[in-house]
Amino acid sequence: MSEPIVIVGGGLAGQRCAETLRRCGHEQPIVMVCGEPHRPYDRPPLSKGVLHARQAEETLSFRSADWYDAKGVELLLGVEARDLDHRARLLELSDGTSVPYGQLLIATGARPRGLPMFDGFENVTGLRTVEDARRLRTALVPGARLLVLGAGFIGQEVASAARTAGVHTTVVEAAAAPLGGLLGPELGAWFADLHRSHGVELLLGEQVSGVRREDPPGEIGDRRRVGSVTLASGRTVTCDHVVLGVGVEPSLDWLGASELDRTGVITDVDGRTGIQGVYAAGDAAACFDPLLEEHALGSHWESAGRQGSRVAKAMLGQDPGAPAVSSFWSDLYGTRVQYLGHASLADELTFDGDPGSRSFTATFTREGRPVAVLLAGRPQMLPQARALLAGTAERVFA
Amino acid sequence: MSYVPHIDESACAAHGDCEAIAPEIFRLDDVAVVIGTGGDELMLEAARVCPAVAIRITDEASGERVFP
Repeated sequence: MSEPIVIVGGGLAGQRCAETLRRCGHEQPIVMVCGEPHRPYDRPPLSKGVLHARQAEETLSFRSADWYDAKGVELLLGVEARDLDHRARLLELSDGTSVPYGQLLIATGARPRGLPMFDGFENVTGLRTVEDARRLRTALVPGARLLVLGAGFIGQEVASAARTAGVHTTVVEAAAAPLGGLLGPELGAWFADLHRSHGVELLLGEQVSGVRREDPPGEIGDRRRVGSVTLASGRTVTCDHVVLGVGVEPSLDWLGASELDRTGVITDVDGRTGIQGVYAAGDAAACFDPLLEEHALGSHWESAGRQGSRVAKAMLGQDPGAPAVSSFWSDLYGTRVQYLGHASLADELTFDGDPGSRSFTATFTREGRPVAVLLAGRPQMLPQARALLAGTAERVFA
Repeated sequence: MSYVPHIDESACAAHGDCEAIAPEIFRLDDVAVVIGTGGDELMLEAARVCPAVAIRITDEASGERVFP
């Protein structure tokens, strides 16, 4: 095959795909289409080390420019995909050119979901790109007032970084507890208590009903700033900066007229789509999950990387092996929280250790079979938790 | 210098923390690989910070597992 393998997206899934292709002996050209003007970089540090100013931006890149040269991976930086013509095997780009491909990986990731009432305000950010992190870090000065909308993992990590930086932090969450929908009320209460004990004002079962604009004094022009928000309960929260942490949606608008689903490209466990030679991985993909027995959006860091690697092997006709149980981790106020599996499948939750403490294991079971584990402050228990769930996964695959 | 590291490839998610801490012992490809040796403490530190707990360390002399 003489046409290159084209990877659309410069995130983790695309990067791992390129690395695995080369490690497995693929010698044909590889092209990565990266919408951002940066070499592929790692995003978890944005909400972890970078916000805490413990990690410099320069260290985020997965690889040096020399690596891409040496490996024969061509980077198109600051170029976005515009359309996919899978019949002609052509990818159209934002610079007006098009690239022919032999095989293609869709790995354009996701973007933070916006809220229309916050559109156009300069002191409102999501947290997805290095530019987002830079803007947010500038806002995290001692004494500043930060409003975080959404108490998912991103919202919680931002709150943790903000409190550590001495910022007055208010978190507004529509659900009755942080992650309550995912992990249940008991663990939801644990997360709520963790934040409140570190001085976060956590407003649960609340929603924003209105935004009050307060532009900087003496400024002429259209710098629009949020000065405060009104909540459904009637309460007012004043703020210097707002972070939107209300979920993400796949960045797939560019698929244009293609028949692939723009709400998440459906794939099998190895990332194959319904179109020959076209694969998807990471946040843009709704990959088949054997444990859930359905297609699932919203892969996190580890699964995005693993999916990228699996796609590479599938492209080369090599066996990707059994899919691993991926874990997700978060660092909140110095406590490492790790989550594996799918708590949504569970009918029972048991604890090892005191769930009121900062160190315990929560095991979710379904008909006595472990389906998910949450570790708080017990990073070394991860291999055991993984083995526990791998047993379940093996039974499912068998 | 008596500890020996082993990477569990199925667990390694290529976070890269081991390479950052001990570049003379670990190198990151699409998974981490052991490329050399180094001090016991450094090796242990790399194993401890690995978010995937994919580094197993054994004591070469006794054959006993040191971590995790």
